Amino acid sequence: MSKRLLALILLIALATIAPLVFTIIVKMDVPRALKSLGLYYVKNTINDTASPETVTAIVWDYRGLDTIYETLVLYLAIVGGLAVFRVKEVALKTKIGLTSFARSSTRIISLLIATISLAIALHGHLTPGGGFPGGSALAVASMIVIPVYSANALIARGITSTRLVAIRGFALTGIGLVAFLPTIRGLEIVTNQAFYPATVLGQLISGSISLYNLFEFLAVMSGFTAVALYLSIPEEVFKVAEGA
Amino acid sequence: MILTLVLLIAASLLSLAFVYLAITERDLLKAAAFSAGQSVMYAIMLQTMGAADIVMTYVAVSVGLYSALLVFIISKTERCEG
Repeated sequence: MSKRLLALILLIALATIAPLVFTIIVKMDVPRALKSLGLYYVKNTINDTASPETVTAIVWDYRGLDTIYETLVLYLAIVGGLAVFRVKEVALKTKIGLTSFARSSTRIISLLIATISLAIALHGHLTPGGGFPGGSALAVASMIVIPVYSANALIARGITSTRLVAIRGFALTGIGLVAFLPTIRGLEIVTNQAFYPATVLGQLISGSISLYNLFEFLAVMSGFTAVALYLSIPEEVFKVAEGA
Repeated sequence: MILTLVLLIAASLLSLAFVYLAITERDLLKAAAFSAGQSVMYAIMLQTMGAADIVMTYVAVSVGLYSALLVFIISKTERCEG
């Protein structure tokens, strides 16, 4: 243990000295102004995409096609992950959970996480965040519920992996439709402001950006929750299934 | 400005310490916790540099999902290494 501590102190000392020496020799200059590319986005995002959030505007509008392909890659990765687990859902019917203290605190925490994740996802076109962070945050909530309440608690409430995969398919179809719809009027694929309205009933929805955020939220949440459901199967169940 | 730099340096040094502890730890659950600590330090660094969007995704994936997945996977194997 003491050897480990010594190595740790040595590592931190080296890491402190090395940048100091480097800065004295090289004399790095800190940039103080925005680059012209950054300035373009800051000035024009609100007119081009009707979204005040530059990063989301770049992700879902300026570089929208890239993000759609990225979503497809994640979809294939999760399909591959689910294909590895070949056990039926009957195996998940264990009812062992944790004590009532853990249950009560998990109830509060998971409710908070769910609320925040919805806020992150649905305000993605106005504030930092978006579909992917929101969806992964909600998946984290289900990942704490599974060990504390047991996977059976989720399945008994109708959150089965079949339904989750169905939600995922629906959400990805939604993303595809939102991307393809502008081509009906002869516009380019992944068009935003020329086809979708910027506001609905006086609320700024930034055209297709909020739709993409909503569908991405559903897709990421259901995908990760389905993987967590299958990962929570104990290893013994696999051995029994192989032996049978 | 100087506070920002101090925070950046402190967070990066602490993240380095967490990485060292995670690599040398033999108890895999503790190693996963140290790895989450490193992710928290990175999140502080990203927030200091003003990348709020990245922080959202990073915290959700690296502190939440990644640690939870690691714990699930450790439950399928033995807790201690070697």
